Amino acid sequence: MTSSLNQMIEESRLLKVIARNWAFCFLISFIVLFSFTGRGFFSIVNFQNIIHLSVIAILMASAETFVIISGGIDLSIGFVMGLSSVTAGKIIQIMFNSGNFSPAFSIFIGVSIALVVSILPGLLSGIVISKYRVPPFIATLGMWGITNGIALKICKGFPVAMLPDSLTKIGNGYILYFKRGDGFSFFGLPYGVGNDKIREYLRLIPNSFIFLIIILLVLWHLLKNTKFGQHTYAIGGNEDAAVRSGIDVKKHIVKIYVLSSFIAGIAGVFNVFQTGIGNFTTFGAMYELFAVAAVVIGGASLMGGKGRLIASVIGVFLIAVLENGLLISGIEPFYRYIAVGLLLILAVVIDELFPDLF
Amino acid sequence: MQSLAKRDRIDMLLKIGRQWALIFLVAELVFFSLMARGFLSLNAFQIIFFFGTAIFLMATAELFVIITGGIDLSAGYVMGLATIVSAKLIAAFYQSGMDSLSSIILGIIITLVIGLIPGLINGFLISHLKVPPFIATFSMLGICHGVSELLISEKAAKNLPLLANEIGNGNFIYFVNGGGISFFSRPEVPRGVKVYEFLPNVVFISFVFIAVFAFILARTKFGQHTYAIGGNKDAAIRSGINVNRHIVKIYMLSSFLASLAGVLYVLKYVTGKADAGASLLLDSIAAVVIGGASLYGGKGTVWRTILGALIIAVLETGLRIMGIPTFDKYIIVGVILISAVLIDQFFPEPTYEE
Repeated sequence: MTSSLNQMIEESRLLKVIARNWAFCFLISFIVLFSFTGRGFFSIVNFQNIIHLSVIAILMASAETFVIISGGIDLSIGFVMGLSSVTAGKIIQIMFNSGNFSPAFSIFIGVSIALVVSILPGLLSGIVISKYRVPPFIATLGMWGITNGIALKICKGFPVAMLPDSLTKIGNGYILYFKRGDGFSFFGLPYGVGNDKIREYLRLIPNSFIFLIIILLVLWHLLKNTKFGQHTYAIGGNEDAAVRSGIDVKKHIVKIYVLSSFIAGIAGVFNVFQTGIGNFTTFGAMYELFAVAAVVIGGASLMGGKGRLIASVIGVFLIAVLENGLLISGIEPFYRYIAVGLLLILAVVIDELFPDLF
Repeated sequence: MQSLAKRDRIDMLLKIGRQWALIFLVAELVFFSLMARGFLSLNAFQIIFFFGTAIFLMATAELFVIITGGIDLSAGYVMGLATIVSAKLIAAFYQSGMDSLSSIILGIIITLVIGLIPGLINGFLISHLKVPPFIATFSMLGICHGVSELLISEKAAKNLPLLANEIGNGNFIYFVNGGGISFFSRPEVPRGVKVYEFLPNVVFISFVFIAVFAFILARTKFGQHTYAIGGNKDAAIRSGINVNRHIVKIYMLSSFLASLAGVLYVLKYVTGKADAGASLLLDSIAAVVIGGASLYGGKGTVWRTILGALIIAVLETGLRIMGIPTFDKYIIVGVILISAVLIDQFFPEPTYEE
């Protein structure tokens, strides 16, 4: 049966395009479906919400994309994010509440230190993986425990609160505020309008969207157009061949884990801006596993050498739209876990059934 | 002559080095005995085993899967599902008028049978549809998590019979000071007479199962086939082993042990929780790796895995007695996990048969 289906797909150009981009087609059909079942699903406000709330998942998935293309896996990113968030939160809290520093300066210092700190787990696991040949699964699972423990020690098991208000103003702000018959303003409500009137304004383009686009463009360029990206694909495709063609594979692998850890650090800092507190990562969050799921739904292979950044982002949106749509349609949110599981199996089975397509 | 003596010495060192886990465990015990007041007592040791049952069972489950070269991420949430299913079933049977003991036994048996289903699906996906174990079991993790949250969201499992608590927190042997032994139930004694408790029931039950599975792995055809598949899958197929079917069995076994851990959790804490086993992923895989198994498959034994699990269980109880927050446990387990692989590389196994 599959062979005849394969043949049919082979003959029809349209079917081929659909089968190759099945995740994207699924995304479109979910959007259409939920537009009928959920009131208020198909609106700019809701789509902006979906994007704003999936920024962290997208960053995680792009970090995981690099690692998975190189043939590894990074289980520590979820807790590296927690570590970075807690570190930034703690430093900002101490500096801001001491009264000697302005909010802007303390945020700047906190964010910079958190980003530097977030490099360390990646550096360590990269060295352990490339130099001492520890399987990536073990090395990053060990780092999973270590970063989680350190993050919990820093915040003593409670979220870090009492941070400046300007954090959430930036993190949850919009570029354009607009009210019919009243004009518009950039980056904030017009002068003299209280926060209680915010619902009367149409808010367009979240700041986080611009932030996300910039980071994704940089990463996309890095993966697609640079030597770094090509070497990543080469190592994942065939490590021996990569060594023989003169790539410094060990150094490159360290770089990849540092990059993924750094992106997780950015996600942690963003988390502080979004929520206004420094959050540690809970066990049930499973950011890293959902990131792997998104990357695999996007068509990457855990064996390495395959994967696209855009496809991973589509994978995240597929999960996010599903979650948001189910919620708006009034279905229990727990179906989300089941749905993601089924999608994931579907992704791999489609990959298995039509191997010549990809 | 001298070079021979030197080689002997190196061999000796290697032999000792390969037992580093045992040495580490002894060092840990000595450290906590010196540092933590009240650690060196029969009670504390029983507590280690009592709280460690879940780790022991989950690590054994993970061991079978890892020997075949796979991984089972779903075990923790299969355990969570089992806690909820068994708690609800026992409560339902009890309320429908059955007596406590038979409702508990019936509830447990049905849960253990239901617990085979996630493993069956995992195994089918992995062996027949060639889904990578990581993906298949992660999907199953999501499905189990979702189903158990749905089950619990309608109505929490409560009104379990008191007997469940008595079984879960009871002991196998009671020894009355001044003569007299009683099994299973605490004897009625006059005030002031001390009763010594030995062997908590849950520890007894889990070690019976672990011993059975240790025997299966070490001494039976099933166990040998498991090693063969992990060592070289192609060779296993060519030597006539039905590899696909065997892998299905392995994943069913793993999810059976996970649901056993869930059932024991219900007996211990008399409640069901969806994320009861969520944090055990690190612990169980760490125990298996500390026990010398390789994620590439073909290596590992049950008793060494139990040794690895014991290292973690001792650490947990020791730190708790010392009053150090459990956050440190995650850091230490992570460090041990990574060092375990490094140390094993430092003391390679001999390539020849001695």
